[in-house]
Amino acid sequence: MSMNRRRALFGAASLLALPAPLRAQTRGSVTTAIYPGAWEEAFRDHVAPFLKRQSGVDLEMQPLFAVDQIAKFSASRGVPPFDVFVLDPGPRITGIERGMFDKFDASRLSNQALLPSMLVDGWGVGCAAQVVGIAYNPKRVPKPSGYADLFKEPWVSKLGLTGFGTTFGTVSLIEIAKIFGGSEVNIEPALVELKKALPKIAAVGAPAAMPGLFQQGQCAVMYTNTQTVTTLKDRGVDIEFAVPETGASAFFTTMHIAKGSENVANAYKYIDTTVGRDIQTALQKPPYNFVPVNKDVPLLSGLPMKSLDDMTKFVTHDWAKINPLRAAWIEKFNREMAK
Amino acid sequence: MRLAWGLVAPLGLAYAAFFLAPLLILGVVSFYQDEAMTEFGTAQWRRFLLDQFHWKVIGDTLLLGLKTVAATLLLGLPLALVYRAASARWQRVLLFIVVMPLLTSVVVRTFAWIVILGREGLVNRLVLDLGLAAEPLRLLQTELGLVISLTQIEMPLLLLPVLAVMVRIDPNVLDASASLGASRWRTLFRVILPLAAPGIAAGCALVFASATTAFISQSVIGGSRLVYLPAMIWQQAMVVAHWPFAATAAISLLLSVSAVIAVIATAGRIAAGRVEAPTHG
Repeated sequence: MSMNRRRALFGAASLLALPAPLRAQTRGSVTTAIYPGAWEEAFRDHVAPFLKRQSGVDLEMQPLFAVDQIAKFSASRGVPPFDVFVLDPGPRITGIERGMFDKFDASRLSNQALLPSMLVDGWGVGCAAQVVGIAYNPKRVPKPSGYADLFKEPWVSKLGLTGFGTTFGTVSLIEIAKIFGGSEVNIEPALVELKKALPKIAAVGAPAAMPGLFQQGQCAVMYTNTQTVTTLKDRGVDIEFAVPETGASAFFTTMHIAKGSENVANAYKYIDTTVGRDIQTALQKPPYNFVPVNKDVPLLSGLPMKSLDDMTKFVTHDWAKINPLRAAWIEKFNREMAK
Repeated sequence: MRLAWGLVAPLGLAYAAFFLAPLLILGVVSFYQDEAMTEFGTAQWRRFLLDQFHWKVIGDTLLLGLKTVAATLLLGLPLALVYRAASARWQRVLLFIVVMPLLTSVVVRTFAWIVILGREGLVNRLVLDLGLAAEPLRLLQTELGLVISLTQIEMPLLLLPVLAVMVRIDPNVLDASASLGASRWRTLFRVILPLAAPGIAAGCALVFASATTAFISQSVIGGSRLVYLPAMIWQQAMVVAHWPFAATAAISLLLSVSAVIAVIATAGRIAAGRVEAPTHG
């Protein structure tokens, strides 16, 4: 035992004595902010080991929601707490407006040519897509043709709603508002219609509760993203995705290099790995069900598009206009829906 | 004495650093005028207090706590009485059953209640199979469903302090009460309950504090149509990122819940005092 220990100690000492380049394959590290939960799990299981194998870079993760990333960076005053942001469109605009990102040079990514051009700009790159439409239980209701159907029978009495708390909820409510004469900056018509339908509506829930409510039959139709539909389907729930006649909405979760980052080279390697074919293929599979962003990755069935280029036809929204209004919308939704 | 102070110092310092200091910061943040936290003022407090809707939310939150306390008391006290009278072996079994829910996380218990209360859940399947109703009952997303689930979720918090005082009640006192001619009900109300009052008050305070701040249960089982303060705080802090307003709402929750707990504690002391008062007639 003591012999073994001595040998191990000796081994460790001789390893330390080796010239640095031979010692290990480590070429530094990169710290990324990451959404807690599924994202954190997926990145720990797939991205971190792959990055280490391929580039010798250690990936450190800080589980933070988008708002926390913005707040933590603001509080850090020049020494960023992480090198890479992972954000949804709303907080992304906040980050750009507050000068939190380094300029992004997509030509440093080996995968640049494989990413749809709508995903790349001077601030960062999309690493996952979300496609939003209507989910329904085909055993309980016919396929709805669009958001207008949600306010009619047989759908309205089985409708599950969420408010402006999430990106997918916000874009869906905007699409509903558009049908009734509203717009990206005027959601009032949606609230008026919702209020009228409220006595019949089956559930108004927190976003995180919606999959459970659907699974338990509390509601049989709701607006949601393809990721939720695929995840529930994998668990044997009767659920299908319907593209509304006004079009499915799409948005991207994007990665940005924090201003003042000292690991810029590693940050590019990490981002390149994340949008690369292997990782995007892995993240598309259950239980993650991410919508990939790399053209080399064949799309699994269940997605409402044949290729990533089809996504240019999807409805997108201008979050620079939405951001300043969203707080008031959230409050309004609370009041209008409250019992 | 000096040794005692030295021994509590680590906990005291930890409280000062991780509880008092953040609480102070919370107080300061609530007095920022604007979302970006650049100047001080009372705008957030005025916005909160001068709005009828927020008072309704405070009222609903406190009422939810009181309803949960009432339900846990109604179901928990009989169990506590059974526990007091049970043999040591049965007491161990009962105690295990009481503590068992604490061994699973609140999140798991909450999501389990979705399965129980849902449209196709256990309760509704039973009701439909027995022909008690033609349509599934609406339990999820109602205050009734929320109180039912919170009653189960918070029950251990009531029972643990109550059981602790129940076992300490001297059986001779009860015998004396009976031999002096008091009926069982009279013994219960004039002897057992007053003696157990400190434990009952402590349990009620815990259940109340926990139920009014049960963010997960409130949002998952209650749904978005029932607006309570914790969900509002979360929304303002995490979604809207309006920290001054979130801080204002958080302090309002803290103050209103503390006020009710103070009332519960006082009521407990008064009830406990009754046992010493001479009883005539």
